[in-house]
Amino acid sequence: MNLEQEIREAIAEVAAVRPADIHAEDRLREDLGLDSVSSMELLSVLAERYDVDIEMEEAVAITTVAQIIEVTRTRLGAPS
Amino acid sequence: MKALVLGAGGFIGLNLVDALLAAGHTPRCGRRARSNVLPLRSRKVPLVPADLEDPEGLQAAMRDVDVVFHAAGHYPRFAHRPEEALQAGLRQTRNVLDAAAAAGVRRLVYASTTATVARGQAGSSNEGHVFASAPEHGTYHRLKWHMEAQALAEDRLEVRVACPAGCIGPWDLRVGTSALLVGTARGLDPPHPDGVVNLVDARDVAQGMLQLAALEESPRRVILSGSTHRLQDLLQLLARRYHVAPPSPPLTTAEAVALADAEERRAAEGGPRASLSREIVDLILYGVPLDAGLSERALGLRYRSLEDTLDAFDAWARRMRLIPEPSPQEELPA
Repeated sequence: MNLEQEIREAIAEVAAVRPADIHAEDRLREDLGLDSVSSMELLSVLAERYDVDIEMEEAVAITTVAQIIEVTRTRLGAPS
Repeated sequence: MKALVLGAGGFIGLNLVDALLAAGHTPRCGRRARSNVLPLRSRKVPLVPADLEDPEGLQAAMRDVDVVFHAAGHYPRFAHRPEEALQAGLRQTRNVLDAAAAAGVRRLVYASTTATVARGQAGSSNEGHVFASAPEHGTYHRLKWHMEAQALAEDRLEVRVACPAGCIGPWDLRVGTSALLVGTARGLDPPHPDGVVNLVDARDVAQGMLQLAALEESPRRVILSGSTHRLQDLLQLLARRYHVAPPSPPLTTAEAVALADAEERRAAEGGPRASLSREIVDLILYGVPLDAGLSERALGLRYRSLEDTLDAFDAWARRMRLIPEPSPQEELPA
């Protein structure tokens, strides 16, 4: 499973949406129904899973699935 | 000091962790399985599982610990299930106390609330003003009185209790006490009753709890409160600070209770967060002016000014995007 797919799986666990129905352009709040607390928990889960640090200032600016994938990929030094 | 912080990722907890780190201690930080640990990861502190519903896990988290800071006391989301809230609060407090006793913890510092302080005959209330039995002021007051009584009855280890007023400061990520502040800053004119409110900087609360843990001799129960206000006056001050319209007149007691109850029922059914919560209403309606002189004398606390507290909260809340940055026009000198 590639990184993007793994992240979709993680989002699906929190958002009660099937991974196949999660798209990069989806907005966490409006499209996936995640409130700010759930969004932070999701980012926290990913930070622990991939052992990366995400500062809170950065976390609160993340509003889409694409941004989650991008910040995780950047922290891991993975190619886009 | 070998310390464990329960509720380390929460509002009081993060301020405690910062105070401990500043004092040269690296606390063990309790966390639940699904909680936001991003701020704790940034602080490079050790994380341990510590679910208040898991007695064995709690005992393992407390192994080789001298002092437990308990800043994870049950906080009922809604007021309309009082028995459920009471059972959960007492069960979790029992689990923490039993685990601490079994692990050989020497001292436990428990974050309670000034909701457990009774109204005096005249003037301000202090630690001597206690309710003879649980106050009939609503779910929150009743629950917190029972939890505090349970903690103070503990005789297997030394328990010290901090009673913080309404906490304002950095790391109120769930926007609890500061909901009226944030609502006003955003120009939302949040609905509110009027009454006496006591405020304290969360960083001062952390310092007070640190002192309760460190001092060999200290009172068992201490009020932590920096300032006392009429809520309507405080909201007017905030409205001027944020250049928004003055607050609407306060709701009557009946209106505030009805609104909070309706909002909480709607939120409990999956709606958006309540615009006014019942425990905030009760805290305002039953608020009494507080005398925190004991904390200054016994713990050596020097409270920050309200202005300092509001400045610090404002800076943090803007970084967290809870309060929008001023537009360039607003930033121009008058």
